Amino acid sequence: MKVAATLSVNGFAYPVELDPGTNLLAAVRDVIGLTGSKEGCDDSECGACMMLLDGQPVNACSYLALQAEGSEITTVEGLADGDTLAPLQVAFLELGGVQCGFCTPGMLVSATALLADNPSPTEDDVRIGLSGNLCRCTGYDGIVKAVLSVAGSS
Amino acid sequence: MATVEEPRTFIRPDGKEKVTGTGRYTADLVLAGELVAKFRYADHTHARITRIDVTKARALPGVLAVVTHEDVPDVLYGGMVKDRRLFARDTVRFEGDVVAAVAATTAAIAEQAVALIEVDYEPLPVVTDFEAALADDSTLVHPAWEEYEGNESLGRHHNTVGYTAIVKGDADAALASADVVVRGRYVTDPVQGVPIEPRAVIAQWQGDKVTVWTSTQVPYAARGGVAHVLQIPESHVRIIVPLLGGGFGAKCDFHFEGHVAALARAARRPVKLVFSRREEFFAVGHRREGMVIEFESGARSDGTLLARKARLVLDKGAYCGEGGFFSEMAAMHALGPYELENVNIQSSLVYSNNQPSSSIRAPTAPQVCWALEQHMDELAAALGMDPIDLRRKTLIETGSVTATGQVLEQIAMKETLEKAVELIGYGQELPEDEAIGVAVGWWPCFAANSGAYVKLNPDGTGTIITGAQENGTGSVMAMPTYVAAELGMQPEDFSMLYQDTDAAPYDMGSCGSQTTFNSGRAVIAAAVDLRDQLLDAAAEQLEASRDDLELVSGSILVKGSPDKSVTIAELAGEGTFHGKGAGEVPFAPEALAEGCVGQSGLESFHAPQLIAHAVRVRVDRDTGVVRVLQVAAAHDCGVILNRMGADGQVYGGVVMGIGQALSERTQLDAEGRHLNAHLTDYKLVTASDAPQIDIAWIETDTLNAGPKGSKGVGEPPCVPTAGAVANAIARVLGARVHQLPMTPERVWKAGQ
Ligand code: FES
Ligand code: FES
Repeated sequence: MKVAATLSVNGFAYPVELDPGTNLLAAVRDVIGLTGSKEGCDDSECGACMMLLDGQPVNACSYLALQAEGSEITTVEGLADGDTLAPLQVAFLELGGVQCGFCTPGMLVSATALLADNPSPTEDDVRIGLSGNLCRCTGYDGIVKAVLSVAGSS
Repeated sequence: MATVEEPRTFIRPDGKEKVTGTGRYTADLVLAGELVAKFRYADHTHARITRIDVTKARALPGVLAVVTHEDVPDVLYGGMVKDRRLFARDTVRFEGDVVAAVAATTAAIAEQAVALIEVDYEPLPVVTDFEAALADDSTLVHPAWEEYEGNESLGRHHNTVGYTAIVKGDADAALASADVVVRGRYVTDPVQGVPIEPRAVIAQWQGDKVTVWTSTQVPYAARGGVAHVLQIPESHVRIIVPLLGGGFGAKCDFHFEGHVAALARAARRPVKLVFSRREEFFAVGHRREGMVIEFESGARSDGTLLARKARLVLDKGAYCGEGGFFSEMAAMHALGPYELENVNIQSSLVYSNNQPSSSIRAPTAPQVCWALEQHMDELAAALGMDPIDLRRKTLIETGSVTATGQVLEQIAMKETLEKAVELIGYGQELPEDEAIGVAVGWWPCFAANSGAYVKLNPDGTGTIITGAQENGTGSVMAMPTYVAAELGMQPEDFSMLYQDTDAAPYDMGSCGSQTTFNSGRAVIAAAVDLRDQLLDAAAEQLEASRDDLELVSGSILVKGSPDKSVTIAELAGEGTFHGKGAGEVPFAPEALAEGCVGQSGLESFHAPQLIAHAVRVRVDRDTGVVRVLQVAAAHDCGVILNRMGADGQVYGGVVMGIGQALSERTQLDAEGRHLNAHLTDYKLVTASDAPQIDIAWIETDTLNAGPKGSKGVGEPPCVPTAGAVANAIARVLGARVHQLPMTPERVWKAGQ
């Protein structure tokens, strides 16, 4: 039995009908059609599905979509200001934080939450803050540098 | 020869789509009417199938197709040995063998249907101990091995799918005359590639032709595979690769494209397969193999290396795939980058009922290098020598002749060692729970055919069409730089079309760190062809001799007459310009290789990349927990075109190597089933574990290198990392860990 609900993603309200067991990642990707958030494991292990719920990072693969009703959901598609990339997005590109890009959406979302929480983190803060997001390509170097560069400039 | 100091930055053209979430990976695509695919895997790791009944599954509402071996041509496939069926017919040989596949309207229905398929088996003895599988009386994983079509050079016999011997001089006599002899036995666990994107495949038929969108590193191999298993012309198969979320070798080789194409044909609908993380672990025919490695080396008391013997056994798992050359590759890494007069290396690649192994980033090298570099440190200890001094004395250099008779042209092996040692601060005073370890290694380039087109657009920009594949490494990003340089334009003037087998000429794909090496050559040839056409047209228009023309900043000028010029955009608006090229495939250097058997083309290392890593670790003796604090990586990978891209390969490869050194391993039960097919118990290195990494590039002018002096950069960083970590651990403990990965338990035990 599907349940009607309204999910607010990146500032838009989406009326949806969902099975109660649908996770937030599936709702956003398959029902709403925003595929920027990725599924790397379905089990809170990789961080590729990371979204913000009222600013707090959650693994959307392990969060029931209906529980997100009433919260403002932010995905990677909501990070840029129109055509203007967010400073973190630019820094990821300029400092080698992106290779295959599959971890990037979740990584950017986690980094956004991290900086909101702690605007001037140390390198250790960044490394610990991002340790729930796996990247197999970059060795994290470019990602950590990117986050620190944005922290330093703000 | 120079060490690169100035980074040359290069922003990825596919960057914006990747940071905004608008880029499309295979699983992000949706086709109207698409169905969901699920597989029924083997219920045993070795068993005869006595009955398959899909009646109930087919009857389930929402199921549009159930496919078994009966629904596809009865053909065997496999890159180097044709030993596998798309759907198991009489026998299953490992946990991930596919017995049947279902296409249904929802994932839940597909799963239900898979469970309704009835399969009866007669269990067979399971071969999991691959070393024991070498014995002539062992259960055969493939009783019909002799009937298989396979590469002649492999020396197949019983369970042995590949055998290589490298023999030079008289190793036994030399060992008998040595002042010091050391021996060691090393065992490695299997390891996975773990791209963060689990693979996905979508197939759609239109008439007799099928289009397959797939997360493959090797689109042309996928095309050939689909055509072969379905017995249709290759021209009826089009492979498109959307953005690829990492590969690391795990997405090499043809495989699941065939199952999904068969399902889509039967269902008369597009069908999509997306692997779960669990499937990405156990079902793929690509993991780094477990090995047993035994070394015996002898030296004179002054450190002169007299002889090396080695016995290597590699677990091939259930099927050969493209990985038949691994016995030879492992044997070459058992030689390592050392000068050796007397050698006897025996290397066997053996079938078992474990998951098939195949290319994972620098296949075979990290394991053998880990063992060899520990062995060399043990030799140094027995000689009472510093391990760096022993390497200074025994490493190859320009002009050295390898044990297979290859004369090495310009190389910078010893220079990388010196640089790594300098960067890490070797010899510095350290706390007693810390130490520095060093390891060296090598890796070849792979010359292969490739082709490219470059066409000009009416607005004066260009499009590069290449068969090269991009797996995130940025290797295809080099192409616009090459083309722009030939045409006097900017890299930003070019877009790329590189993921469609119907559009571009053949390329071997994103494997073997060879994209720049081969595709770069083709792209330059195409750009030169285009340049000729532009010069002809400009000569006519400007009424000038071709020899007086030059291409500068998007225009063609008559030298010395600055007012006589035409822009490339003007020419492109008026005519049709498209260049094509392949370039000449460079020959591999000669190897004499007398006394060697099982040669599959690796007995000489083409334009070898030389690598030295030095690492500093901290070991907690009470818990066995090791932390890598610092890594210095010095590489001779030829001329570096794109510093940020090349550095990115080292950062990623070193961190992957640390995972392999300390935590990554697939654990199997007594029947060869995965026990930890998920990321909680298969532990990757996280941002908080990753160390500081310093990188030095020693740029050499290598003979037979790729375009503009390039060699590969993607695989070398994985090669000596585990070995360097092992040597550092041994220095702290005063004891060696003989199993890889060097888990806390193993380190703790070794220290007792
Ligand atoms: S997909 Fe959610 S944590 Fe991996
Ligand atoms: S960029 Fe590929 S996984 Fe992070």
